[in-house]
Amino acid sequence: MQWSLFVNNLPYLLVGAFPEGPLGGAALTLVLALSSALASAVLGMAGGIALAMAGRVVRVPLLLVIGFFRAIPVLMLIFWTFFLLPVMFHINVPGLAAVVCALSLIGGAYLAHSVHAGILAVGQGQWQAGLSLGLTRMQVLRYVLLPQAIRIMTPSFVNQWVSLVKDTSLAYIVGVGELSFVATQVNNRLMVYPVQIFLFVGFIYLVLCTVLDRVATYWLTRSGRAAQASVRSAAQPVPGE
Amino acid sequence: MQGWLAPRYLMWLGQGFGVTVGLALAAAVAATAAGSALAMARHARYRPVRYAAGAYVVAFRNTPLLVQLLFWYFGVATLLPEAVMQWLNTPHSVHVAGLAVHWPSFEFVAGWLGLTCYSAAFIAEEFHAGLRGVPAGQHHAAAALGLTPLQAFRYVVLPQAVRISLPPLFGQYMNLVKNSSLTMAIGLAELSYAARQVETETFQTFAAFGVATVLYIAAVAVIEAVSHVVAHRRDLSFARR
Repeated sequence: MQWSLFVNNLPYLLVGAFPEGPLGGAALTLVLALSSALASAVLGMAGGIALAMAGRVVRVPLLLVIGFFRAIPVLMLIFWTFFLLPVMFHINVPGLAAVVCALSLIGGAYLAHSVHAGILAVGQGQWQAGLSLGLTRMQVLRYVLLPQAIRIMTPSFVNQWVSLVKDTSLAYIVGVGELSFVATQVNNRLMVYPVQIFLFVGFIYLVLCTVLDRVATYWLTRSGRAAQASVRSAAQPVPGE
Repeated sequence: MQGWLAPRYLMWLGQGFGVTVGLALAAAVAATAAGSALAMARHARYRPVRYAAGAYVVAFRNTPLLVQLLFWYFGVATLLPEAVMQWLNTPHSVHVAGLAVHWPSFEFVAGWLGLTCYSAAFIAEEFHAGLRGVPAGQHHAAAALGLTPLQAFRYVVLPQAVRISLPPLFGQYMNLVKNSSLTMAIGLAELSYAARQVETETFQTFAAFGVATVLYIAAVAVIEAVSHVVAHRRDLSFARR
């Protein structure tokens, strides 16, 4: 393989036509992943709390909606948002927004169950203890249950975000110029090095996913470690007492 | 929404669904076999084998399926000798008892290979978790009863490990059905591809994607039902002993 060809295409793979044109390549993949990770975390939190707090009237329809999003392929949902939203609301939905919308809905549906399970795992005793202290249900949730539940939910959040990074590659289908799309463009242009190109692109995704995994795990367990440290220091006898 | 889809288009969707089911079944069988081999390799006595299996799982889990499919479809085509590619690209059929069995297209083979390699990594993780979920005491107890290591594995550890990993295994089969939609990117005429095609021809967006979505949900629901039946049967057969 001629090395210069590869080096010439490297900037295009990483940032697309930026700064002359729109952002693309690995940078756009990152933007897509971060925005849908944030949105899916918010949706998942809201859905999980609703599942834990709501009565049957709200829970059954909510479970059906979540079940629907978990049962269909991500690709199908991207089609729905990309082709149907314009038809229904007569607005032009850009591919980018359609993909972020689809990814956050699916991620949120998966996370809602993890959040619900995390809240349940903290245990009924904590609920009762909080209520008997005179806290309202919302206060119990906010100050007693969620801080403990977050620690239980951390692995599922990280897993979901890693699969979000992988799923951003589906934006390729609706022509968003992220890493996979750019890779096929470069592949079509060069014609002769598909193995090297796709191995390299796979490697970029691998690095993105493993870094995200490490950083997110560190960041989400940070508060837990800090709490343990403060408990440990609080337990130390105060000198001179 | 003007009327319903013409029978011709419903037929396309039906054929697409057939390809989806066939692909998912073929990949499920191969991925289960490869996944159990990988899980065994992760528990192998020789360290290089363990490391190789671990590296496979990390690499295939952390890169998008789409990139892997593109790699198999475009990349392997250039690696294989010319004669093999020609053989793969020309139609072949075998006549068995009056029935013509067609050798599948190269798209199907590439899609099957990609799905199998991807799912095998996930299934291996489920089996690995199942094997680790059997308490160490069971190994010791089997050894104390005088069973050889192979017997202990076959009669004591394996039944319990399978019991633990069966529900997540069916979850992986559901993912397999959903992931098979990505093979449309390499031009395999499965359900999503057919839905897209019907949509382009008829402009009946809602009907085309609606039918495809319902078929996907039906497939996932059937797997869910089968998983319940299998779990119930196992419990019954254990209770009878």
